[in-house]
Amino acid sequence: MKSMYRIRIAFSKQDPVRWLSHLDTQKAFERALRRAEIPLAFSEGFNPHPKIAFASALAVGVVSLGEYADIELAEDMAPETVKEKLQQAMPEGFGVQAVKKVPQGTQALMAAVNRAQYRVRVPLAKEIEDGMVKAALAKSLAEEAWLVEREGKKGRSTKDIRGGIYQLTGHIVESHLVLEMVVQTGSEGNVRPEEVLEIVARTGSLPVHIERIRILRLGLFVAKGDRLMTPLEVI
Amino acid sequence: MQHTHESINKALEEGLLTKVTKPTRYTGGEYNQVKKDWADIDVSMAFGFPDVYEVGMSHLGLRILYHLINEQPRMVMERVFAPWVDMEKEMRARQLPLFSLESRRPLTDFDVVGFTLQYEMSYTNILNMLDLAGIPLKSIERSDDAPLIMAGGPCAVNPEPLADFVDLVVLGEGEEVLPRILQRIAQFKQAGRWRTCAETRGREELLFALAQIPGVYVPAFYRSEYDEKGLFKGTIPNRSGVPARISKQIVADLDKAYFPTKSLVPFMDVVHDRVMLEVLRGCSRSCRFCQAGSIYRPVRERSMETLKKQADELVKTTGYDEIALTSLSTADYTCVEPLIQSLIATHQEQKVGVSLPSLRVDAFSVNLAKEVQKVRKTGLTFAPEAGTQRLRDVINKGVTEENLMETVESAFANGWTGLKLYFMIGLPTEKEEDLEGIAQLAERVVYRGTGILREKGIKKSVKVTVSTSSFVPKPQTPFQWEPQARIEELEEKQAYLKKRLKDRRINYNWHDAKVSFMEAVLAKGDRRIGDVLYRAWQKGCTFDGWSEYFHFDRWQEAFAESNIDPEYYAYRTIRYDEPLPWDHLDFGVQRQYLVREHKKALEESLTHDCRLDSCSGCGVCPTLGVSLDLRGEKHVPNSDRI
Repeated sequence: MKSMYRIRIAFSKQDPVRWLSHLDTQKAFERALRRAEIPLAFSEGFNPHPKIAFASALAVGVVSLGEYADIELAEDMAPETVKEKLQQAMPEGFGVQAVKKVPQGTQALMAAVNRAQYRVRVPLAKEIEDGMVKAALAKSLAEEAWLVEREGKKGRSTKDIRGGIYQLTGHIVESHLVLEMVVQTGSEGNVRPEEVLEIVARTGSLPVHIERIRILRLGLFVAKGDRLMTPLEVI
Repeated sequence: MQHTHESINKALEEGLLTKVTKPTRYTGGEYNQVKKDWADIDVSMAFGFPDVYEVGMSHLGLRILYHLINEQPRMVMERVFAPWVDMEKEMRARQLPLFSLESRRPLTDFDVVGFTLQYEMSYTNILNMLDLAGIPLKSIERSDDAPLIMAGGPCAVNPEPLADFVDLVVLGEGEEVLPRILQRIAQFKQAGRWRTCAETRGREELLFALAQIPGVYVPAFYRSEYDEKGLFKGTIPNRSGVPARISKQIVADLDKAYFPTKSLVPFMDVVHDRVMLEVLRGCSRSCRFCQAGSIYRPVRERSMETLKKQADELVKTTGYDEIALTSLSTADYTCVEPLIQSLIATHQEQKVGVSLPSLRVDAFSVNLAKEVQKVRKTGLTFAPEAGTQRLRDVINKGVTEENLMETVESAFANGWTGLKLYFMIGLPTEKEEDLEGIAQLAERVVYRGTGILREKGIKKSVKVTVSTSSFVPKPQTPFQWEPQARIEELEEKQAYLKKRLKDRRINYNWHDAKVSFMEAVLAKGDRRIGDVLYRAWQKGCTFDGWSEYFHFDRWQEAFAESNIDPEYYAYRTIRYDEPLPWDHLDFGVQRQYLVREHKKALEESLTHDCRLDSCSGCGVCPTLGVSLDLRGEKHVPNSDRI
């Protein structure tokens, strides 16, 4: 068997690259890795592709401070060297935070990650008290089901996302409603932060300009019992 | 509200970009983007591509000029593309002006906005972009606070339909002229003669100074005359001190010419998303319908050493996995085989492939394609252009049926199971048998391919795609005097082929004949077409090159309201002694040569490629003071014919 060298990269995605789609992000990585002259392992076949796997797709426009990708290398390279070279070759807005070797037999990144932490910020249409936010959160969390409509390939469907909410807090900062949450992500199902905001705002009748929502992904995690570990901490 | 880059930035980030498809069309920030501090520059230019981002970013000229200008210490060039319809709607709703990608400044902040004219059907987008930028559409309405509106590129061969809207036109290759133009503008600004304060009235003086630079045409300094019946009589200077004829400028030594070692790397998929290595400029195969073949003469090649170095650097600075060898006819490059071998040897390990965008119809080309296949599999496209030998002789396409069959045999034998064939319909002298010839050729290719695949035991069915475009007579070609076939005629020809090409292994597609008609009118139009353009734009015509946004009825209304008969431009046989709207623009190819070529076409007589034989007397070399520049041994792949 060919020996493989896998590395895990933690990175951020901010302006202006927050507007890149998932596919664009993959391509940007491929090209940056080539520019950085990092020895990539390629798939076989007519159109060989470097083997890069991302933890989770990030919606267009969302800023993230905690994204992850696993990359297979054709030969060994020190993580520090990869970090330095790659940072220099990345387009403005991507920050390479850390690089770590992945031991053989480690669970695939995409399969491991199952929690995402978000902060959403949305302008208030009129001033309200913090208490109103607390009440809205309490009332929404007391509901048994949070039904959302989604547009899928097979048409519209209704989903209950209540079970995917693990933490949810909120407060008012400078005429903005700010919600922080830890929600389900990955193969077990995805909760979208804008859906959470919509439910809380609707249930508590909070006056917000929902179309001007700004979403920040603070990180992706692997839930181990009650603990949340980053994908770098699990290896 | 007066917008600044701060307010535009705020509008984009706070909501606008979430409302549009493909936001990276507007964000900039691509790798190798150049962002300059405007405090340190003397002159600024926005390069405007009058189509959507993914089309514009595929244009090599933009990439060359972008880095060329930005390497000049006190000049800046930024980019602007036509916002897609959804973005335009959002921008108009917010009264947000058109802005550049790099600094997000409104276009009115720039000294020059230059549009490249790549195809006629993008003209209404130029008007729309000016309007979105809040710049008066007509040259005559602009004062010193408006940027100079410049145009260049292949359609500058006849920019007359745009004469009312542009301030200056650059004829020929921009690498040497553009820095000189910007330098001159910087000098004017530094001398306090233009745009330095609200009171300057320097626009006309500046344009006059620019008109002294060879290759610069200022339409306002010329007037077109017509006789009492409305026939075009000529375009002559309306003031002293400007040349009666303006000559195109070209780069004499392509090997030494500037070529960027960096290239913008778009985030979204663009049409040509790869390293573009320009191996040569020009083509002297002399196909008689081809405008590019006329206006980019003579053939000038780059040396292998230069190209290898450029490829290495570009792969390193872009991270692309494909190097395209671009030119009008790459298989004609005298060093093409050793170049491909060398590029593959150097880049194979990083899985960087080589591609050939255009192939000649010969076995040599298939071999090249086979060579580049070593890394990545690509499709094969050949352009016999016409269905019979007679018609191919008329257009001087030096291809025989034997060439074609040999080529496709070689392709199928080498593992391809499908290919594309390009033809033109409505060519001068075309008869029904020529259309029938297209169908028969396609069938022969299918039968031969099926036979070869069967022999090789391949179960897959052969797939042949036949595409037809419609002949558009273009200025500076031997067919410039020819009428275009009528829309109804072209549609009948398409219907004929649709009926004939019923084999399920053949896929037939064709171009909208109404679009081809509009192309002919705009390509050969005079200044009176400007009014039609203006009215069509007012009626909402933009993105005319996109079938879903092409509204022929609006154009017809515009013609009627302007009292212009479009058939005068498209369908009329022009006499040799008639003045032409582009006569005052000298592209080097002599009129006598074009007449001679036209006559030879009607006699079905061939003209040689001057690379392989004696000079064919087009006049470009002596007129422009340049010569053919080949870098390798002459090779004669089609020696049986030429």
